[in-house]
Amino acid sequence: MPRAIRLYVAYVEKMNRFIGRFAMYLIFAMLGVLLYSSLSKAVFLPSLWTLETAQFLMVAYYLLGGGYSMQLGDHVRMDLLYTNWRPRTRSLVDSITVLFLIFYLCLLLYGGYSSTAYAIQYNEQSYSAWAPYMAPVKIVMTFGVLLMLLQAIATLFKDIAAVRGEEL
Amino acid sequence: MSYELIAMLMFSSMMLLLLTGQRVFGAIGFVASAAALLLWGDGGSEMAFSAAMKLMKWYPLLTLPLFVYMGYMLSESKIADDLYRMFHVWMGPLNGGLAIGTILLMVAVSAMNGLSVAGMAIGASIALPELLRRGYDKIMVTGVIQAGSSLGILVPPSVVLVLYGMIARQPVSQLWLAGAIPGLMMAGMFIAYIVIRCWMQPSLGPSLTKEERAEITWEEKISLLKAGILPLFIFFSMTGLFLMGVTSLVESSAVGATAATLAALVKRRLTAEVMEEVLRKTLGISCMFMWIILAALCFGAVFDGLGAVRAIESFFVDRLGLGPWEILILMQLSFILMGMFLDDTAMLVIVAPLYVPLVKMLGFDLVWYGVLYTITCQIAYMTPPFGYNLFLMRAMAPPEVTLSDIYRSIGPFVLVMTLALILVMIFPDIAMWLPNQFYGR
Repeated sequence: MPRAIRLYVAYVEKMNRFIGRFAMYLIFAMLGVLLYSSLSKAVFLPSLWTLETAQFLMVAYYLLGGGYSMQLGDHVRMDLLYTNWRPRTRSLVDSITVLFLIFYLCLLLYGGYSSTAYAIQYNEQSYSAWAPYMAPVKIVMTFGVLLMLLQAIATLFKDIAAVRGEEL
Repeated sequence: MSYELIAMLMFSSMMLLLLTGQRVFGAIGFVASAAALLLWGDGGSEMAFSAAMKLMKWYPLLTLPLFVYMGYMLSESKIADDLYRMFHVWMGPLNGGLAIGTILLMVAVSAMNGLSVAGMAIGASIALPELLRRGYDKIMVTGVIQAGSSLGILVPPSVVLVLYGMIARQPVSQLWLAGAIPGLMMAGMFIAYIVIRCWMQPSLGPSLTKEERAEITWEEKISLLKAGILPLFIFFSMTGLFLMGVTSLVESSAVGATAATLAALVKRRLTAEVMEEVLRKTLGISCMFMWIILAALCFGAVFDGLGAVRAIESFFVDRLGLGPWEILILMQLSFILMGMFLDDTAMLVIVAPLYVPLVKMLGFDLVWYGVLYTITCQIAYMTPPFGYNLFLMRAMAPPEVTLSDIYRSIGPFVLVMTLALILVMIFPDIAMWLPNQFYGR
């Protein structure tokens, strides 16, 4: 495979690993926010911001962690036929069908981009008493989708390489 | 092209794409977003991302990563080891007693966690090797662990009922209470099956030998009961506080996750490696579920736009001209059939919004239907070719348990579960008695 592709795969995987491992620890942030929320209800007035903050954290958790989880191979497949194929056949089929996945991610990214642009342009706020600005979380979400897309393309390159009997 | 035809086309292309073995979320997401684009052009192009915003607003889903975390923490922290030893010692003298003990262990784990992952991990790592070493029939014990761990989604707490509650707009507290007695009943039926089976063929599940029994003193038996304290504490801090109204649903899952972490700390199992394992697996499994739900929400939105609910309604009511019960039975059957071939989480998100309005229109109670629905899910999770429990079992089982063993093991248990489903259908009070008592409905 050309050097540019090798470099691309190496860098994307490294970046997704780094960001995914950061996202991994966000679960403690969710825990902390929700524990604070249950304690604050008991001790003083319930706070307005906890629930939405937890929602934002959850979205960041699975979107920023997406690329890393794909790298680790955690996404299930229906393996009725798949398990019986030789590794090379699997890579061959994968290198074609992953294009469908990439198509989906492109549309997700497009939607994310236009939604973020809207949020920035009109200073969109959430419909709640706390009314946080929506732009930051949407930027994080769109970035997460982008990471997933980059990882999917890297996966495509790896599958093609595997079909040609190389390893990336 | 008529809308019904488009809907059929979407389903079949999704199925085809799934068969190629591509990642489930990709297959579903592609069909959904491509259909949206073809149907509505530019207006449909943002549907994929709107699903992400909708998912964010479904905040009870926060319980999902927290329950996954908790499940792995429980299985890594080995609290279940003592619990297993307790059931082992108490049930050992019976024929098939260790299998019965395993079911009881699964009930205890199910009461602490809302997914079947935890029970599966604990069952495959602790109970399965021990049972095989004791000469239990491997097909039977594989089935015992799969069936037992599936109770995780019926016995409160339950993530599936949280998801259902969001779709059907029913209070999760009532749904959880409604699942409690059917869950225990099903566990009882599993035990009855094991007892009868081992009574007919004692070689399937040999009891502990006389010498082994003689070694166990009554003092040890009593002191082992202490193993039950920690699980009870976790159950109370999570489900107990939630049902008493002290914590909200998502808060209670955070409390439960913290309790599990504390339990691991007390048992001195909270090492850096364990933490790393737990966190990485939690991220992986949560991402898998979340991305599938994300794609399925988009699929559901397209179906909604096609007016699939009305189409199904008119199909069942006008065209087939069936009564409420016949429709209900047909729906459950179709659900089990589809659940065999399609991804189970996606089925939940796609099919439930189609069926729930119909169930409501037919005049059935939606809390009761939630229980039927969950039992159907349990069956779908276990039936090949597509079931999460099957996947997990394959990944976790020791090498001597082959794929065909796993497939063959589930047969009798699926029958028992179907029987339980029928019982809850005929006698709705099995599910409804507890919530009615509690809330005086």
